[in-house]
Amino acid sequence: MLKELDPLLHSQLRLGVMSILMSVESAEFTFLKEKTNSTAGNLSVQLDKLSEAGYITIEKSFNGKKPLTTCRINRKGMKAFEDYVNALKDYIKK
Amino acid sequence: MESENKNLSPEQSLDLIASMIRQTQGNVSSGSFYFLLWGWVITLCNFGMYILAKFYSPSNAAFIWTLTIPAWIITMIYASRQDKTRSITTHLDKISMWLWIALGITILPSWIFGSVIDWRVNALVLMPVGMATFVSGIIIRFKPLLFGGITFWIAGTLCFIVSPLDQYLIGGVAMIFGYLLPGYMLRSKK
Repeated sequence: MLKELDPLLHSQLRLGVMSILMSVESAEFTFLKEKTNSTAGNLSVQLDKLSEAGYITIEKSFNGKKPLTTCRINRKGMKAFEDYVNALKDYIKK
Repeated sequence: MESENKNLSPEQSLDLIASMIRQTQGNVSSGSFYFLLWGWVITLCNFGMYILAKFYSPSNAAFIWTLTIPAWIITMIYASRQDKTRSITTHLDKISMWLWIALGITILPSWIFGSVIDWRVNALVLMPVGMATFVSGIIIRFKPLLFGGITFWIAGTLCFIVSPLDQYLIGGVAMIFGYLLPGYMLRSKK
């Protein structure tokens, strides 16, 4: 029986963000916004969902007066991403 | 990428993952600033030490190495500023940072306890510097740094067989070919 795909990851924007965060140490909000071609509002909402699930950590700081939002993936997020990719492979093999 | 719940097929999901990972490639930062700063400081210290020890006062010549103290301070301030302005930190950036911190830790005892071995520390410093430079060349895929690393290894080996004073000449020349030339080439590449 095929595993159900994690609904939190099976969304275009969240999957895009998680793919980027899997391949880097950390990324700024502006980098994620540019690379995923999303709006600030939508990205912010999706990042909060990933953070609430414990998949990512969001750190807020300042560079001078400019606010900085830095995101990095957690162990739980890495595990969820790996499980998601394995489930995808099963679907493709089917 | 606006729709949150667009129904993705497994193939689309894998394509999306691959395309996002591609976006992060080639983002390793290359710090020509550090090579130029340390290249100039250590070149000056080596040649300065040689000239002072040979022609003036050998006992006081080692004070020229205090030039490295402001270089450390500048390095820390610059690194902290760079860290704040960087929009992405890759795994290789982190490896690179720890490589150079590990190098500092490796050669620190040579500076602290150098007097115990009459300051014949050049080989002990140049060999690990060669390793860090070579590995940096691999990380940022920049051949001049590979040659720089090899230069330090050759210079470090030579230091075992030349007189203590000549070791500073070798160290200075090694810095020119190991740090300064690759540093300027790296800067012009940007």
